[in-house]
Amino acid sequence: MGKNEILNLEYTALNLRRNILRLIRAGESGHVGGALSSVEILTALYFNLLKIDPKKPDWPQRDRFVLSAGHKCLVLYAALAERGFFDKSVLDTYGALDSRVPGHPNMHKLPGVETNTGALGHGLSIAGGMSLGLKLDKSDSKVFVVMGDGELAEGSNWEAASAAAMHKLDKLIVFVDRNKLQISGPTVEVMSYEPLEERWRSFGWGVRTIDGHNLETIIDTVNQTPFTKGKPSVIIADTLKSKGLSFAEGKVSYHYWKAKPQELEQAEKDLDVMEKLLKTKMEEIEL
Amino acid sequence: MINELKDPRKVFGEAVMEAALENQNIVVLSADSSSGSGLGNFPAKFPDRHFEFGIMEQGVIGFACGLATTGKIPVFAAIAPFVTARPYEMFRNDLGYMNQNVKVVGRCAGLTYDQLGSTHHSLDDVAIIRTIPGVTVINPGDPVTIGKAVHAMLNHLGPCYMKIGNPPMPVLYPDDIEFRLGKGIVIQDGHDVALIATGTVLSKAVVAARLLEEAGVSVRLIDMHTIKPLDHDLILSAAREIGKIVTVEEHFLAGGLGSAIAELCSQEYPAKMKMIGIDDLYASNGPYEQLIGKYGLQPDQIKETVIHFLTNK
Repeated sequence: MGKNEILNLEYTALNLRRNILRLIRAGESGHVGGALSSVEILTALYFNLLKIDPKKPDWPQRDRFVLSAGHKCLVLYAALAERGFFDKSVLDTYGALDSRVPGHPNMHKLPGVETNTGALGHGLSIAGGMSLGLKLDKSDSKVFVVMGDGELAEGSNWEAASAAAMHKLDKLIVFVDRNKLQISGPTVEVMSYEPLEERWRSFGWGVRTIDGHNLETIIDTVNQTPFTKGKPSVIIADTLKSKGLSFAEGKVSYHYWKAKPQELEQAEKDLDVMEKLLKTKMEEIEL
Repeated sequence: MINELKDPRKVFGEAVMEAALENQNIVVLSADSSSGSGLGNFPAKFPDRHFEFGIMEQGVIGFACGLATTGKIPVFAAIAPFVTARPYEMFRNDLGYMNQNVKVVGRCAGLTYDQLGSTHHSLDDVAIIRTIPGVTVINPGDPVTIGKAVHAMLNHLGPCYMKIGNPPMPVLYPDDIEFRLGKGIVIQDGHDVALIATGTVLSKAVVAARLLEEAGVSVRLIDMHTIKPLDHDLILSAAREIGKIVTVEEHFLAGGLGSAIAELCSQEYPAKMKMIGIDDLYASNGPYEQLIGKYGLQPDQIKETVIHFLTNK
């Protein structure tokens, strides 16, 4: 990929973060930590990888995206709005009665949302079924999933992992957003999933571990799937919870953020700094 | 032939096979459960449309949901508690909340896994599944209506739960009986009591109605094969015209057909009611006919309960 292209995607990622902040400003609170840690993954998906058409959200040949960790929905809304599935003004209704952007996604309320997730441990089975159905139709469409690392303690995920491997769903691509924190503390101390790579491998999956904030790496890695023909692929994306907010990065207390006015102000400043850096980078490229 | 005994699972499986010949979108999912559900021949007949998962019912519900999003019509049949109580949240969120066109069938339901005890009995399935908005709940009471219910369910767009029993059950209806989801069948008219039965014990209610007629009690006998959506018209006309209703089901009193009828009548047209079913307990084990007798579901017991109900005002 060209440097310009990457930089444009980095700008898009910044816009997604701004959209997340816009949602929080409207609703005053939300699951921000895991939304911000997966911004680059969703940017790569919605602005490079996914075969989708915002004008035809039900297009049968589309790729599917399942947000298994439904509480990360702020990033999904941010990406869908940025991609043009609906007007950005919808973001300003977050937290209001009957809002189309609830605290967990609802496919009946918003175009582009594929599943009603929120209860953890559901998404991988549903995505597996989608992939199986598409395979039966001899479709080339891929199914992408984002899971949280805390979510991996749900046993139902491992039922789905076995079945996806057994049915050779090699167009199923899973990201584990490994931000390493859940409500009660560091994920591996709450319920260890280690050795994570070996665990997935032993379930019959192709596995890669990457920097989950590096857009170029994310895209290159997905373009190498299936890592092994006939096997589903999992990309363990190492990320930072609340990435982009100086006061919240890596802090478990921002898993669910009840935003104070001064924090919102600081968040704006942080994103402005990020934008300045991107501008400098852009100028360097142009020179 | 009326009164001929037929295996409900075999009838179910044959109906699915028949429908699958016509409709290419029908697929079957198995949690090591197809052969026990009358679908043993499905994999050989439709090898690309049968998916084995092993014993993982929660995951199968999710996979069924995903398949349905691509236009398939998944049928998932297994032992009743394992497709209802165990994956309840998957049923509620993935099939109900997502409104997916999946057909879940609980077989060997009620007490029909007689000897196997309470882990394998399913006396709460109607109660828990009927709380899920948009799910159709079907409980046919004879082999003919099981076959018709399968076709009706597969032609209906939306999530369905159907329950069937295990031991051979008598044919109660001619082949041309009209079957419509959500519309109960009046088997016989009468004016002293409305006897409303569902599922595996419908045949017991049929015999009980005969015994009652012989004892001089006029019975309006209703087969309520669809518990959700409930046939309001049929129930409310019984409440208005007769005012006395007895329900018969192989299910907990809490949350089953009797409860559903009481919920309706108490608000729309209160009628005197007696509910025959299983009380708040873990049912015992033993030979099926003896076991349902322990809970008052044999015809002579139903008859006595009805007479007691009618004479103790």
